[in-house]
Amino acid sequence: MSERKRFGLRRDEKRESASQWAVAWRRFKKNRAALAGLVMVGTLVIVAALSDLLAPYPARPDPRSLTPLYEGEASQPPSWKHPFGTSAVGYDVYSEVIHGARYTLYVGMSVSIITMFIAILVGAIAGYYGKMIDNVLMRITEVFLVFPSLLLILAFVRVFQVAAGTGFWIIPVLGIEVPIGLTIVVMILSIFGWSSNARLVRGEFLRVREMEFVQAAKALGASNRRIIFRHILPNILSAVIVVGTLTIAYAILLEAAVSFMGFGDPNAITWGQILQEGFPDVRLLWWGEVFPGLAVLFSVFGFNLLGDGLADALNPRLRE
Amino acid sequence: MSLFKYVVRRFIYMIPLFLGISMLSFMVVFAAGDPISIATLGRPNITEETKQALRAYFGLDKPIPIQYLMWLSNLVRGNFGRSLYGGRPVNQLIGSWFWETIKLQLVGILLSLAISIPVGILSAKRQYSKTDIIITSIALFGVSMPTFWLGVILILIFSFNLGWFPSAGAYGAPSLWPTIFGTNPFMDAVAHLVLPALVIVYVSMAQNVRLIRASMLEVLRQDYILAAKASGLSDRAVTYKHALRNAIMPVITFLGLSFGGIVGGAPMTETVFNWPGLGRRFVDAAIGLDFPVVLGITMIITVMTLIANLITDISYAAIDPRIRIE
Repeated sequence: MSERKRFGLRRDEKRESASQWAVAWRRFKKNRAALAGLVMVGTLVIVAALSDLLAPYPARPDPRSLTPLYEGEASQPPSWKHPFGTSAVGYDVYSEVIHGARYTLYVGMSVSIITMFIAILVGAIAGYYGKMIDNVLMRITEVFLVFPSLLLILAFVRVFQVAAGTGFWIIPVLGIEVPIGLTIVVMILSIFGWSSNARLVRGEFLRVREMEFVQAAKALGASNRRIIFRHILPNILSAVIVVGTLTIAYAILLEAAVSFMGFGDPNAITWGQILQEGFPDVRLLWWGEVFPGLAVLFSVFGFNLLGDGLADALNPRLRE
Repeated sequence: MSLFKYVVRRFIYMIPLFLGISMLSFMVVFAAGDPISIATLGRPNITEETKQALRAYFGLDKPIPIQYLMWLSNLVRGNFGRSLYGGRPVNQLIGSWFWETIKLQLVGILLSLAISIPVGILSAKRQYSKTDIIITSIALFGVSMPTFWLGVILILIFSFNLGWFPSAGAYGAPSLWPTIFGTNPFMDAVAHLVLPALVIVYVSMAQNVRLIRASMLEVLRQDYILAAKASGLSDRAVTYKHALRNAIMPVITFLGLSFGGIVGGAPMTETVFNWPGLGRRFVDAAIGLDFPVVLGITMIITVMTLIANLITDISYAAIDPRIRIE
């Protein structure tokens, strides 16, 4: 450490990495679609953070969420008072959609993080060590890639939800309350979603493994772990970020579908859950389906645009 | 001869894949702990003796590896076991619903291919033009859209508002619900097919167009395309004979791999349109925790996916002779 400081290496490193990100940002700024994606994702984050301020009525377990019902305003079309109308039961659809933003981010971010963790682990080991290990790991990945994952996702979600029961689970350190059923959906989506990402990470590892600086590190006697995490991983970080962003979009879409088919958590009113509850009345109360669906479309579109834009900016080679 | 050897090798290669998937699917049973106690949860009037008898009847009292082997050997012989509810054979339960799913999916996939190949080529040939931007935006929109929600919107517009097509089912009651297709039974079936097929077409087309465009762009940059153009060939010949044959390879690979995803997406479309197919059967069975039916449908769709993969491999080798030599 002191040696680095003495030779001023640290400052140099910092400046260089800053300029690399600055170059990417300059490229990103020029891309109008990417900027639109950033604005859309930013909107989603702000809505999720300020949902209690933006929503006129509180979230579901609170009895005040049924205020429209007590005021005799159930099944009302969109108006100034209820911009997205009210459901047949008597919830304000606008408030429900606003509160759903938090769950959407929770599902998207956690599935993306867990998926990328598994993908990097498998991809790094397979891509770096190669040979037999690579062969075995890639065959396992193929099993996950080929089969109809939605079917098993539904079956596993249902089994675990019935076994675990409903309610809330408090994350020990952070003290955040998360619905058990929704967390099970997150886990299952991650377990079935890592395979294509792992293949991509493996491909990147195969490419970087052969580069001179890795050979140099090896010649200097660096350990495998050090080479994987300190030398190769930072070099494929841009690909990881891009795929991670696109995985968020995948998770949001899939969670909505799982909830819509009736496998969601009744304690977590996600957008998919609102869509499921509104579907039987869609003929008369179209607003109960149109607005939550638009919210899903908006978020997924935003993350897709952002992911494509990041791919262009960070790594022109990744561009399709 | 070498093509035959290649096909046999691919077929043998699929066996471990099949075993892996079957094991993973079977895990759902022992992840549940004991299917009978889970399926009878919240029904206190079922006594412990009855449960024991049920376990013995369905063979669930044996150790899990034995259960798996019994299930697998029955599966290979085409016997999917009995439903936990009422004990009817799964084959009989699935029956005609299988063909309804096949009908819907085949129409959807073939139509989407027929549209997406020319559209993808057009988009690639006019890269960054207005046409290209419109096509790619529509495609990105399709990738970002929840499949089931698109179905809901189509029902709202074309069924409830315009009254052109029925909103649910595969057949039925044309006199009760007249559509623009009249009351002829065949046209009635077609009218029921239009909206769900449209959903499959749009969503899979969105993926295919993106892929074909990317692949065409890659190929059009190659030197041999320039050479073909320089030697005075027509634009049409260069595009369809020289470029497309090379650009189509990754698309075929992707199609084989994504077939499982497309057919596996059947629960979504079939739930929205109340389509009497495997997907809806599956959703009902999964909600009711009817394991033999869940496993049966999963394995049927797995086998369909593997067959699609095999066909992909064969056509791959047929188009590109280099594959066979390797």
